[in-house]
Amino acid sequence: MHEQTSDLVVGLLVLILGLVGLVMASGALDHAMYVFGLSLAGFAVVFDMGLVKRYFDRQDAARQEGGHV
Amino acid sequence: MSDLAIGAAFPVARPVARAAEAYNMDVVKKFTIAAMFWAVVALLLGVVLALQLAWPVFNLGLEWTAFGRLRPVHTSAAIFAFGGSALFATSFYIVQRTCHARLFGGEALANFIFWGYQFFIVMAALSYVMGFSQGQEYAEPEWHLDIFLTIIWVSYGVAFIGTIFLRKEPHIYVANWFFLAFIITVAVLHLGNNVALPASFFEAKSYSVYSGVQNAMIQWWYGHNAVGFFLTAAFLGMMYYFIPKQAGRPVYSYRLSVVHFWSLIFMYIWAGPHHLHYTALPDWAQTLGMVFSIILWMPSWGGMINGLMTLSGAWDKLRTDPGLRFSVTAVGFYGMSTFEGPMMSIKVVNGLAHYTDWVVGHVHSGALGWVAFISFGAIYYLVPVLWNRSRLYSAKLVAWHYWVATLGIVLYITSMWVAGIMQGLMWRAYDKFGFLQYSFAESVNAMHPYYVIRMMGGVLFLAGALMMVFNLIMTVRSASTAVQPARETAAAGA
Repeated sequence: MHEQTSDLVVGLLVLILGLVGLVMASGALDHAMYVFGLSLAGFAVVFDMGLVKRYFDRQDAARQEGGHV
Repeated sequence: MSDLAIGAAFPVARPVARAAEAYNMDVVKKFTIAAMFWAVVALLLGVVLALQLAWPVFNLGLEWTAFGRLRPVHTSAAIFAFGGSALFATSFYIVQRTCHARLFGGEALANFIFWGYQFFIVMAALSYVMGFSQGQEYAEPEWHLDIFLTIIWVSYGVAFIGTIFLRKEPHIYVANWFFLAFIITVAVLHLGNNVALPASFFEAKSYSVYSGVQNAMIQWWYGHNAVGFFLTAAFLGMMYYFIPKQAGRPVYSYRLSVVHFWSLIFMYIWAGPHHLHYTALPDWAQTLGMVFSIILWMPSWGGMINGLMTLSGAWDKLRTDPGLRFSVTAVGFYGMSTFEGPMMSIKVVNGLAHYTDWVVGHVHSGALGWVAFISFGAIYYLVPVLWNRSRLYSAKLVAWHYWVATLGIVLYITSMWVAGIMQGLMWRAYDKFGFLQYSFAESVNAMHPYYVIRMMGGVLFLAGALMMVFNLIMTVRSASTAVQPARETAAAGA
Protein backbone atom coordinates (compact mmCIF):
# COMPACT_ATOMS: atom_id res chain seq x y z
CA MET A 1 0.00 0.00 0.00
CA HIS A 2 1.32 3.44 -0.81
CA GLU A 3 2.33 5.53 2.17
CA GLN A 4 -0.01 8.35 1.17
CA THR A 5 -3.06 6.08 1.01
CA SER A 6 -2.13 4.69 4.40
CA ASP A 7 -1.72 8.21 5.80
CA LEU A 8 -5.14 9.18 4.48
CA VAL A 9 -7.07 6.14 5.73
CA VAL A 10 -5.42 6.08 9.16
CA GLY A 11 -5.57 9.86 9.48
CA LEU A 12 -9.31 9.92 8.82
CA LEU A 13 -9.92 7.04 11.25
CA VAL A 14 -8.00 8.85 13.98
CA LEU A 15 -9.82 12.09 13.18
CA ILE A 16 -13.17 10.36 13.71
CA LEU A 17 -11.90 8.83 16.97
CA GLY A 18 -10.83 12.28 18.15
CA LEU A 19 -14.26 13.76 17.42
CA VAL A 20 -15.95 10.88 19.26
CA GLY A 21 -13.59 11.59 22.18
CA LEU A 22 -14.67 15.22 22.26
CA VAL A 23 -18.35 14.25 22.27
CA MET A 24 -17.73 11.75 25.09
CA ALA A 25 -15.85 14.32 27.16
CA SER A 26 -18.51 16.98 26.56
CA GLY A 27 -21.28 14.91 28.11
CA ALA A 28 -19.21 12.79 30.51
CA LEU A 29 -21.00 11.70 33.65
CA ASP A 30 -17.89 10.45 35.47
CA HIS A 31 -14.16 11.14 35.71
CA ALA A 32 -13.10 8.07 33.74
CA MET A 33 -15.13 9.06 30.68
CA TYR A 34 -14.06 12.70 30.91
CA VAL A 35 -10.36 11.81 31.09
CA PHE A 36 -10.72 9.21 28.32
CA GLY A 37 -12.64 11.52 25.98
CA LEU A 38 -10.24 14.44 26.33
CA SER A 39 -7.20 12.16 26.08
CA LEU A 40 -8.59 10.53 22.93
CA ALA A 41 -9.10 13.94 21.34
CA GLY A 42 -5.55 14.93 22.33
CA PHE A 43 -4.19 11.65 20.99
CA ALA A 44 -5.93 12.26 17.67
CA VAL A 45 -4.54 15.79 17.32
CA VAL A 46 -0.97 14.73 18.11
CA PHE A 47 -1.16 11.65 15.89
CA ASP A 48 -2.55 13.51 12.88
CA MET A 49 0.01 16.29 13.34
CA GLY A 50 2.64 13.55 13.26
CA LEU A 51 1.23 12.30 9.96
CA VAL A 52 1.42 15.80 8.49
CA LYS A 53 5.01 16.19 9.72
CA ARG A 54 6.08 12.87 8.23
CA TYR A 55 4.47 13.81 4.91
CA PHE A 56 6.56 16.98 4.65
CA ASP A 57 9.66 15.14 5.94
CA ARG A 58 9.29 12.69 3.05
CA GLN A 59 8.91 15.54 0.60
CA ASP A 60 12.02 17.25 1.97
CA ALA A 61 13.98 14.03 1.74
CA ALA A 62 12.88 13.52 -1.86
CA ARG A 63 13.80 17.13 -2.73
CA GLN A 64 17.26 16.71 -1.20
CA GLU A 65 17.80 13.58 -3.25
CA GLY A 66 16.93 15.62 -6.33
CA GLY A 67 13.89 13.57 -7.13
CA HIS A 68 10.57 14.83 -8.40
CA VAL A 69 8.27 15.90 -5.57
CA MET B 1 12.56 -20.28 3.63
CA SER B 2 16.21 -19.49 3.20
CA ASP B 3 16.01 -16.87 5.84
CA LEU B 4 14.20 -18.95 8.28
CA ALA B 5 16.46 -20.51 10.00
CA ILE B 6 16.33 -23.25 9.29
CA GLY B 7 19.57 -23.30 10.50
CA ALA B 8 22.05 -20.84 9.43
CA ALA B 9 23.64 -18.82 12.17
CA PHE B 10 23.39 -15.18 11.26
CA PRO B 11 26.21 -12.78 11.87
CA VAL B 12 24.45 -10.05 13.71
CA ALA B 13 25.03 -7.23 11.27
CA ARG B 14 23.99 -8.91 8.04
CA PRO B 15 20.21 -8.98 8.22
CA VAL B 16 20.04 -5.37 9.24
CA ALA B 17 21.49 -3.84 6.13
CA ARG B 18 18.78 -5.52 4.14
CA ALA B 19 16.11 -4.94 6.76
CA ALA B 20 16.75 -1.22 6.86
CA GLU B 21 15.84 -0.95 3.19
CA ALA B 22 12.97 -3.34 2.82
CA TYR B 23 11.29 -3.85 6.16
CA ASN B 24 9.55 -1.62 8.68
CA MET B 25 11.87 -2.14 11.64
CA ASP B 26 10.96 1.21 13.18
CA VAL B 27 7.78 -0.21 14.71
CA VAL B 28 9.68 -3.28 15.93
CA LYS B 29 12.16 -1.01 17.70
CA LYS B 30 9.38 1.02 19.31
CA PHE B 31 7.60 -2.06 20.62
CA THR B 32 10.90 -3.48 21.90
CA ILE B 33 11.56 -0.31 23.90
CA ALA B 34 7.95 -0.33 25.15
CA ALA B 35 8.27 -3.98 26.20
CA MET B 36 11.27 -3.24 28.40
CA PHE B 37 9.65 -0.12 29.84
CA TRP B 38 6.46 -1.99 30.76
CA ALA B 39 8.45 -4.95 32.09
CA VAL B 40 10.04 -2.68 34.69
CA VAL B 41 6.67 -1.05 35.52
CA ALA B 42 4.91 -4.41 35.87
CA LEU B 43 7.66 -5.92 38.02
CA LEU B 44 7.88 -2.82 40.22
CA LEU B 45 4.12 -2.94 40.79
CA GLY B 46 4.42 -6.66 41.57
CA VAL B 47 6.97 -5.89 44.27
CA VAL B 48 4.71 -3.16 45.70
CA LEU B 49 1.77 -5.59 45.81
CA ALA B 50 3.92 -8.27 47.43
CA LEU B 51 4.95 -5.71 50.03
CA GLN B 52 1.29 -4.83 50.64
CA LEU B 53 0.41 -8.48 51.18
CA ALA B 54 3.28 -8.94 53.63
CA TRP B 55 2.78 -5.60 55.37
CA PRO B 56 -0.65 -4.01 54.71
CA VAL B 57 0.65 -0.62 55.82
CA PHE B 58 2.07 -0.26 52.28
CA ASN B 59 -1.51 0.27 51.03
CA LEU B 60 -0.77 3.79 52.31
CA GLY B 61 -4.38 4.35 53.34
CA LEU B 62 -5.26 5.81 49.93
CA GLU B 63 -7.88 4.30 47.63
CA TRP B 64 -5.66 4.83 44.55
CA THR B 65 -2.83 2.76 46.03
CA ALA B 66 -4.98 0.05 47.60
CA PHE B 67 -4.25 -3.56 46.63
CA GLY B 68 -7.61 -3.98 44.88
CA ARG B 69 -6.90 -1.14 42.46
CA LEU B 70 -3.19 -1.77 41.87
CA ARG B 71 -3.55 -5.50 41.31
CA PRO B 72 -5.21 -5.20 37.86
CA VAL B 73 -2.65 -2.53 36.95
CA HIS B 74 0.08 -5.10 37.70
CA THR B 75 -1.55 -7.96 35.79
CA SER B 76 -2.44 -5.77 32.82
CA ALA B 77 1.04 -4.23 32.76
CA ALA B 78 2.64 -7.69 32.84
CA ILE B 79 0.37 -9.47 30.37
CA PHE B 80 -0.90 -6.84 27.97
CA ALA B 81 1.71 -4.08 28.23
CA PHE B 82 4.97 -6.05 28.60
CA GLY B 83 3.88 -9.35 27.03
CA GLY B 84 1.76 -7.64 24.38
CA SER B 85 4.48 -5.20 23.35
CA ALA B 86 7.02 -8.05 23.15
CA LEU B 87 4.58 -9.99 20.95
CA PHE B 88 3.87 -7.05 18.66
CA ALA B 89 7.63 -6.48 18.27
CA THR B 90 8.53 -10.09 17.56
CA SER B 91 5.50 -10.89 15.41
CA PHE B 92 6.13 -7.84 13.18
CA TYR B 93 9.80 -8.79 12.95
CA ILE B 94 9.15 -12.44 12.21
CA VAL B 95 6.32 -11.96 9.70
CA GLN B 96 8.37 -9.50 7.64
CA ARG B 97 11.51 -11.59 7.62
CA THR B 98 9.88 -14.96 6.98
CA CYS B 99 7.55 -13.55 4.28
CA HIS B 100 10.26 -11.35 2.76
CA ALA B 101 7.72 -8.54 2.62
CA ARG B 102 7.43 -5.10 4.17
CA LEU B 103 4.72 -4.69 6.80
CA PHE B 104 1.34 -4.14 5.16
CA GLY B 105 -0.45 -0.84 5.68
CA GLY B 106 2.48 1.53 5.57
CA GLU B 107 4.13 3.53 8.28
CA ALA B 108 0.90 5.23 9.37
CA LEU B 109 -0.89 1.99 10.22
CA ALA B 110 2.14 0.64 12.10
CA ASN B 111 2.38 3.87 14.09
CA PHE B 112 -1.33 3.82 14.83
CA ILE B 113 -1.03 0.28 16.17
CA PHE B 114 1.93 1.23 18.35
CA TRP B 115 0.66 4.52 19.77
CA GLY B 116 -2.94 3.33 19.96
CA TYR B 117 -1.93 0.27 21.96
CA GLN B 118 0.19 2.35 24.36
CA PHE B 119 -2.71 4.80 24.72
CA PHE B 120 -5.05 1.93 25.57
CA ILE B 121 -2.67 0.62 28.24
CA VAL B 122 -2.30 4.02 29.91
CA MET B 123 -6.06 4.71 29.80
CA ALA B 124 -6.87 1.25 31.21
CA ALA B 125 -4.35 1.66 34.05
CA LEU B 126 -5.72 5.12 34.88
CA SER B 127 -9.27 3.81 34.95
CA TYR B 128 -8.32 0.98 37.38
CA VAL B 129 -6.57 3.40 39.70
CA MET B 130 -9.64 5.66 39.60
CA GLY B 131 -11.77 2.67 40.58
CA PHE B 132 -13.46 1.81 37.28
CA SER B 133 -13.53 -1.86 36.38
CA GLN B 134 -15.82 -4.51 34.92
CA GLY B 135 -14.69 -6.75 37.77
CA GLN B 136 -13.77 -9.61 35.41
CA GLU B 137 -10.25 -10.94 35.73
CA TYR B 138 -7.94 -9.92 32.84
CA ALA B 139 -10.98 -8.20 31.26
CA GLU B 140 -11.22 -5.25 33.62
CA PRO B 141 -11.46 -2.39 31.09
CA GLU B 142 -14.90 -0.84 30.72
CA TRP B 143 -16.84 -0.87 27.45
CA HIS B 144 -15.34 2.25 25.83
CA LEU B 145 -11.81 0.91 26.30
CA ASP B 146 -12.92 -2.49 24.99
CA ILE B 147 -14.15 -0.85 21.77
CA PHE B 148 -10.94 1.15 21.41
CA LEU B 149 -8.85 -2.01 21.90
CA THR B 150 -10.96 -3.78 19.26
CA ILE B 151 -10.06 -1.08 16.73
CA ILE B 152 -6.36 -1.46 17.55
CA TRP B 153 -6.55 -5.25 17.41
CA VAL B 154 -8.32 -5.29 14.04
CA SER B 155 -5.63 -2.92 12.73
CA TYR B 156 -2.99 -5.34 14.03
CA GLY B 157 -4.73 -8.22 12.25
CA VAL B 158 -4.91 -6.21 9.02
CA ALA B 159 -1.18 -5.40 9.16
CA PHE B 160 -0.14 -8.97 10.04
CA ILE B 161 -2.45 -10.86 7.69
CA GLY B 162 -1.89 -8.30 4.92
CA THR B 163 1.85 -8.96 5.18
CA ILE B 164 1.25 -12.67 4.85
CA PHE B 165 -0.75 -12.01 1.67
CA LEU B 166 2.16 -9.96 0.32
CA ARG B 167 4.69 -12.72 1.03
CA LYS B 168 7.28 -13.67 -1.53
CA GLU B 169 7.74 -17.10 0.04
CA PRO B 170 5.15 -19.73 -0.85
CA HIS B 171 5.36 -21.27 2.60
CA ILE B 172 3.96 -19.72 5.79
CA TYR B 173 6.49 -20.47 8.53
CA VAL B 174 5.05 -22.18 11.61
CA ALA B 175 5.72 -19.20 13.91
CA ASN B 176 3.29 -17.18 11.82
CA TRP B 177 0.61 -19.82 12.29
CA PHE B 178 0.93 -19.44 16.04
CA PHE B 179 0.69 -15.64 15.73
CA LEU B 180 -2.35 -15.98 13.45
CA ALA B 181 -4.12 -18.19 15.98
CA PHE B 182 -3.23 -15.66 18.68
CA ILE B 183 -4.58 -12.66 16.75
CA ILE B 184 -7.82 -14.30 15.61
CA THR B 185 -8.64 -16.13 18.85
CA VAL B 186 -7.89 -13.18 21.12
CA ALA B 187 -10.26 -11.10 18.96
CA VAL B 188 -13.01 -13.72 19.33
CA LEU B 189 -12.42 -14.03 23.09
CA HIS B 190 -12.36 -10.28 23.63
CA LEU B 191 -15.57 -9.71 21.69
CA GLY B 192 -17.33 -12.74 23.20
CA ASN B 193 -16.53 -11.96 26.82
CA ASN B 194 -17.14 -8.22 26.68
CA VAL B 195 -20.69 -8.15 25.32
CA ALA B 196 -22.13 -5.57 27.66
CA LEU B 197 -24.78 -2.87 27.75
CA PRO B 198 -23.41 0.56 28.70
CA ALA B 199 -25.45 2.41 31.32
CA SER B 200 -25.01 5.50 29.13
CA PHE B 201 -22.86 6.62 26.22
CA PHE B 202 -21.32 9.14 28.61
CA GLU B 203 -20.66 6.79 31.52
CA ALA B 204 -17.83 4.30 32.15
CA LYS B 205 -20.21 1.70 33.47
CA SER B 206 -21.73 -1.30 31.72
CA TYR B 207 -23.57 -4.51 32.52
CA SER B 208 -22.58 -7.86 31.02
CA VAL B 209 -25.30 -9.59 29.00
CA TYR B 210 -24.34 -12.81 30.74
CA SER B 211 -25.36 -13.38 34.32
CA GLY B 212 -24.65 -15.89 37.07
CA VAL B 213 -22.93 -19.11 36.14
CA GLN B 214 -23.16 -18.31 32.41
CA ASN B 215 -21.13 -15.20 33.09
CA ALA B 216 -18.58 -17.26 35.05
CA MET B 217 -18.37 -19.80 32.23
CA ILE B 218 -17.85 -17.18 29.51
CA GLN B 219 -15.38 -15.30 31.72
CA TRP B 220 -13.20 -18.39 32.22
CA TRP B 221 -13.56 -19.46 28.62
CA TYR B 222 -12.03 -16.04 27.97
CA GLY B 223 -9.61 -16.10 30.92
CA HIS B 224 -8.16 -19.51 30.29
CA ASN B 225 -7.79 -18.94 26.57
CA ALA B 226 -6.17 -15.59 27.21
CA VAL B 227 -3.53 -17.75 28.89
CA GLY B 228 -3.71 -20.30 26.07
CA PHE B 229 -3.55 -17.99 23.09
CA PHE B 230 -1.99 -14.78 24.40
CA LEU B 231 0.53 -16.23 26.85
CA THR B 232 1.15 -19.61 25.24
CA ALA B 233 0.48 -19.82 21.49
CA ALA B 234 1.94 -16.42 20.65
CA PHE B 235 5.07 -16.97 22.73
CA LEU B 236 5.46 -20.37 21.07
CA GLY B 237 5.63 -18.44 17.80
CA MET B 238 8.50 -16.53 19.38
CA MET B 239 10.13 -19.81 20.43
CA TYR B 240 9.89 -21.36 16.97
CA TYR B 241 11.71 -18.45 15.39
CA PHE B 242 14.28 -17.29 17.92
CA ILE B 243 15.58 -20.58 19.33
CA PRO B 244 16.59 -21.88 15.87
CA LYS B 245 18.13 -18.47 15.17
CA GLN B 246 20.06 -18.34 18.42
CA ALA B 247 21.15 -21.96 18.23
CA GLY B 248 21.96 -21.82 14.53
CA ARG B 249 20.10 -25.08 14.10
CA PRO B 250 16.93 -26.05 12.24
CA VAL B 251 13.74 -26.75 14.16
CA TYR B 252 14.14 -30.33 15.44
CA SER B 253 10.95 -31.54 13.73
CA TYR B 254 8.95 -29.23 11.52
CA ARG B 255 6.23 -31.86 11.28
CA LEU B 256 6.00 -32.01 15.08
CA SER B 257 5.67 -28.22 15.17
CA VAL B 258 2.66 -28.40 12.86
CA VAL B 259 1.09 -31.22 14.93
CA HIS B 260 1.88 -29.16 18.03
CA PHE B 261 0.06 -26.17 16.54
CA TRP B 262 -3.16 -27.87 15.48
CA SER B 263 -3.51 -30.07 18.56
CA LEU B 264 -2.79 -27.18 20.94
CA ILE B 265 -5.30 -24.77 19.43
CA PHE B 266 -7.98 -27.43 19.15
CA MET B 267 -7.69 -28.56 22.78
CA TYR B 268 -6.95 -25.33 24.64
CA ILE B 269 -10.31 -23.79 23.81
CA TRP B 270 -12.19 -26.44 25.85
CA ALA B 271 -10.18 -26.28 29.07
CA GLY B 272 -11.69 -23.13 30.67
CA PRO B 273 -14.21 -24.85 32.97
CA HIS B 274 -11.39 -26.20 35.16
CA HIS B 275 -11.40 -22.74 36.75
CA LEU B 276 -14.90 -23.45 38.03
CA HIS B 277 -14.59 -26.79 39.81
CA TYR B 278 -17.03 -27.30 42.69
CA THR B 279 -19.17 -24.33 41.61
CA ALA B 280 -22.71 -24.05 40.21
CA LEU B 281 -21.37 -25.01 36.77
CA PRO B 282 -22.81 -28.39 35.71
CA ASP B 283 -20.60 -31.27 36.75
CA TRP B 284 -20.24 -32.59 33.19
CA ALA B 285 -18.84 -29.23 32.05
CA GLN B 286 -16.31 -29.22 34.91
CA THR B 287 -15.21 -32.73 34.00
CA LEU B 288 -14.98 -31.81 30.32
CA GLY B 289 -12.64 -28.95 31.24
CA MET B 290 -10.54 -31.28 33.39
CA VAL B 291 -10.25 -33.95 30.69
CA PHE B 292 -9.22 -31.50 27.98
CA SER B 293 -6.69 -29.97 30.38
CA ILE B 294 -5.10 -33.36 30.92
CA ILE B 295 -5.07 -34.12 27.20
CA LEU B 296 -3.19 -30.83 26.78
CA TRP B 297 -0.15 -32.47 28.37
CA MET B 298 0.62 -34.12 25.05
CA PRO B 299 0.79 -31.14 22.68
CA SER B 300 2.43 -28.99 25.36
CA TRP B 301 5.21 -31.47 25.99
CA GLY B 302 5.51 -32.22 22.28
CA GLY B 303 6.23 -28.54 21.75
CA MET B 304 8.64 -28.42 24.67
CA ILE B 305 10.56 -31.42 23.36
CA ASN B 306 10.68 -29.84 19.91
CA GLY B 307 12.08 -26.62 21.36
CA LEU B 308 14.70 -28.35 23.47
CA MET B 309 15.75 -30.87 20.81
CA THR B 310 16.36 -27.98 18.42
CA LEU B 311 19.55 -27.54 20.43
CA SER B 312 20.82 -30.98 19.40
CA GLY B 313 24.43 -30.46 18.46
CA ALA B 314 24.42 -26.90 19.77
CA TRP B 315 24.17 -27.39 23.52
CA ASP B 316 27.65 -25.92 23.92
CA LYS B 317 26.21 -22.53 22.90
CA LEU B 318 24.51 -22.35 26.28
CA ARG B 319 27.95 -21.72 27.75
CA THR B 320 28.75 -18.83 25.45
CA ASP B 321 25.34 -17.29 24.69
CA PRO B 322 23.47 -16.33 27.86
CA GLY B 323 20.60 -14.97 25.74
CA LEU B 324 20.02 -18.48 24.44
CA ARG B 325 20.14 -19.68 28.05
CA PHE B 326 17.07 -17.53 28.75
CA SER B 327 15.21 -19.00 25.79
CA VAL B 328 16.02 -22.61 26.65
CA THR B 329 15.24 -22.18 30.34
CA ALA B 330 11.94 -20.63 29.26
CA VAL B 331 11.09 -23.80 27.39
CA GLY B 332 11.92 -25.77 30.54
CA PHE B 333 9.53 -23.58 32.54
CA TYR B 334 6.94 -23.99 29.78
CA GLY B 335 7.18 -27.75 30.27
CA MET B 336 7.00 -27.41 34.03
CA SER B 337 4.01 -25.08 34.15
CA THR B 338 2.13 -27.02 31.46
CA PHE B 339 2.61 -30.12 33.60
CA GLU B 340 1.54 -28.36 36.77
CA GLY B 341 -1.56 -26.72 35.24
CA PRO B 342 -3.29 -29.92 34.08
CA MET B 343 -2.35 -31.57 37.36
CA MET B 344 -4.04 -28.75 39.27
CA SER B 345 -7.11 -29.12 37.06
CA ILE B 346 -7.72 -32.65 38.34
CA LYS B 347 -10.70 -32.20 40.62
CA VAL B 348 -9.19 -33.89 43.67
CA VAL B 349 -6.01 -31.83 43.41
CA ASN B 350 -8.08 -28.72 42.69
CA GLY B 351 -10.02 -29.28 45.90
CA LEU B 352 -6.77 -28.60 47.76
CA ALA B 353 -5.22 -26.02 45.43
CA HIS B 354 -8.12 -23.79 44.41
CA TYR B 355 -8.25 -20.28 45.90
CA THR B 356 -4.80 -20.79 47.48
CA ASP B 357 -1.43 -19.22 46.76
CA TRP B 358 -0.40 -22.37 44.90
CA VAL B 359 -2.38 -20.94 41.95
CA VAL B 360 -0.46 -17.67 42.26
CA GLY B 361 2.83 -19.62 42.24
CA HIS B 362 1.72 -21.61 39.19
CA VAL B 363 0.78 -18.46 37.28
CA HIS B 364 4.12 -16.86 38.06
CA SER B 365 6.18 -19.90 37.06
CA GLY B 366 4.51 -19.46 33.68
CA ALA B 367 4.61 -15.65 33.60
CA LEU B 368 8.18 -15.20 34.84
CA GLY B 369 9.77 -18.48 33.77
CA TRP B 370 8.11 -18.89 30.37
CA VAL B 371 6.70 -15.57 29.14
CA ALA B 372 9.33 -13.21 30.55
CA PHE B 373 12.32 -15.49 29.90
CA ILE B 374 11.40 -16.29 26.28
CA SER B 375 10.84 -12.54 25.72
CA PHE B 376 14.16 -11.64 27.34
CA GLY B 377 15.93 -14.22 25.15
CA ALA B 378 14.30 -12.80 22.02
CA ILE B 379 15.03 -9.17 23.00
CA TYR B 380 18.68 -9.96 23.76
CA TYR B 381 18.88 -11.36 20.24
CA LEU B 382 16.89 -8.55 18.62
CA VAL B 383 18.48 -5.41 20.04
CA PRO B 384 21.92 -5.77 18.40
CA VAL B 385 20.22 -6.74 15.15
CA LEU B 386 17.73 -3.86 15.15
CA TRP B 387 20.23 -1.18 16.15
CA ASN B 388 22.96 -2.63 13.94
CA ARG B 389 25.44 -3.36 16.73
CA SER B 390 28.10 -6.04 16.61
CA ARG B 391 27.16 -7.63 19.94
CA LEU B 392 25.57 -7.04 23.33
CA TYR B 393 27.42 -4.62 25.61
CA SER B 394 28.13 -7.22 28.29
CA ALA B 395 27.59 -10.97 28.08
CA LYS B 396 28.64 -11.19 31.72
CA LEU B 397 25.80 -8.89 32.73
CA VAL B 398 23.36 -11.09 30.80
CA ALA B 399 24.66 -14.06 32.78
CA TRP B 400 24.16 -12.12 36.03
CA HIS B 401 20.65 -11.25 34.93
CA TYR B 402 19.97 -14.89 34.19
CA TRP B 403 21.08 -16.21 37.58
CA VAL B 404 19.53 -13.38 39.61
CA ALA B 405 16.19 -13.78 37.79
CA THR B 406 16.26 -17.57 38.09
CA LEU B 407 16.91 -17.33 41.82
CA GLY B 408 14.02 -14.85 42.04
CA ILE B 409 11.66 -17.28 40.32
CA VAL B 410 12.78 -20.16 42.54
CA LEU B 411 12.14 -18.09 45.69
CA TYR B 412 8.76 -16.99 44.32
CA ILE B 413 7.36 -20.33 43.27
CA THR B 414 8.69 -22.45 46.12
CA SER B 415 7.33 -20.03 48.72
CA MET B 416 3.95 -20.04 47.01
CA TRP B 417 3.90 -23.84 46.80
CA VAL B 418 4.49 -24.11 50.52
CA ALA B 419 2.06 -21.27 51.31
CA GLY B 420 -0.65 -22.64 49.03
CA ILE B 421 -0.52 -26.21 50.21
CA MET B 422 -0.42 -25.02 53.81
CA GLN B 423 -3.47 -22.83 53.21
CA GLY B 424 -5.37 -25.67 51.57
CA LEU B 425 -4.56 -28.03 54.42
CA MET B 426 -5.42 -25.47 57.12
CA TRP B 427 -8.78 -24.66 55.51
CA ARG B 428 -9.83 -28.30 55.40
CA ALA B 429 -8.47 -29.37 58.80
CA TYR B 430 -11.09 -30.18 61.42
CA ASP B 431 -10.89 -31.53 64.95
CA LYS B 432 -12.38 -34.66 66.50
CA PHE B 433 -15.66 -32.82 67.14
CA GLY B 434 -16.01 -31.87 63.46
CA PHE B 435 -15.22 -28.17 63.98
CA LEU B 436 -12.79 -26.36 61.68
CA GLN B 437 -9.39 -26.42 63.38
CA TYR B 438 -8.21 -23.02 62.14
CA SER B 439 -9.93 -19.71 61.60
CA PHE B 440 -9.35 -17.99 58.25
CA ALA B 441 -7.35 -15.27 60.01
CA GLU B 442 -4.97 -17.91 61.40
CA SER B 443 -4.27 -19.15 57.89
CA VAL B 444 -3.58 -15.56 56.78
CA ASN B 445 -1.19 -15.10 59.67
CA ALA B 446 0.65 -18.31 58.78
CA MET B 447 1.35 -16.94 55.30
CA HIS B 448 3.46 -14.00 56.45
CA PRO B 449 6.97 -15.53 56.12
CA TYR B 450 6.17 -16.92 52.68
CA TYR B 451 4.84 -13.55 51.52
CA VAL B 452 8.12 -11.97 52.59
CA ILE B 453 10.11 -14.62 50.68
CA ARG B 454 7.89 -14.05 47.63
CA MET B 455 8.56 -10.32 47.83
CA MET B 456 12.33 -11.00 47.93
CA GLY B 457 11.97 -13.19 44.84
CA GLY B 458 10.18 -10.33 43.09
CA VAL B 459 12.90 -7.87 44.05
CA LEU B 460 15.54 -10.18 42.54
CA PHE B 461 13.57 -10.54 39.32
CA LEU B 462 13.12 -6.75 39.11
CA ALA B 463 16.84 -6.24 39.76
CA GLY B 464 17.61 -8.58 36.86
CA ALA B 465 15.30 -6.63 34.54
CA LEU B 466 17.04 -3.37 35.50
CA MET B 467 20.40 -4.96 34.65
CA MET B 468 18.93 -5.89 31.28
CA VAL B 469 17.70 -2.35 30.62
CA PHE B 470 21.16 -0.97 31.44
CA ASN B 471 22.82 -3.58 29.22
CA LEU B 472 20.51 -2.84 26.29
CA ILE B 473 20.94 0.93 26.56
CA MET B 474 24.71 0.49 26.61
CA THR B 475 24.49 -1.91 23.67
CA VAL B 476 22.83 0.79 21.62
CA ARG B 477 24.99 3.67 22.85
CA SER B 478 28.45 2.30 23.61
CA ALA B 479 31.20 2.70 21.04
CA SER B 480 32.49 -0.74 21.99
CA THR B 481 29.53 -2.43 20.31
CA ALA B 482 29.71 -0.50 17.03
CA VAL B 483 29.98 -2.55 13.85
CA GLN B 484 33.50 -2.23 12.44
CA PRO B 485 33.64 -1.26 8.77
CA ALA B 486 34.81 -4.21 6.67
CA ARG B 487 38.05 -2.50 5.57
CA GLU B 488 39.13 -1.78 9.14
CA THR B 489 38.28 -5.30 10.18
CA ALA B 490 40.39 -6.70 7.35
CA ALA B 491 43.28 -4.42 8.23
CA ALA B 492 43.06 -5.40 11.85
CA GLY B 493 43.15 -9.02 10.92
CA ALA B 494 46.13 -8.65 8.60
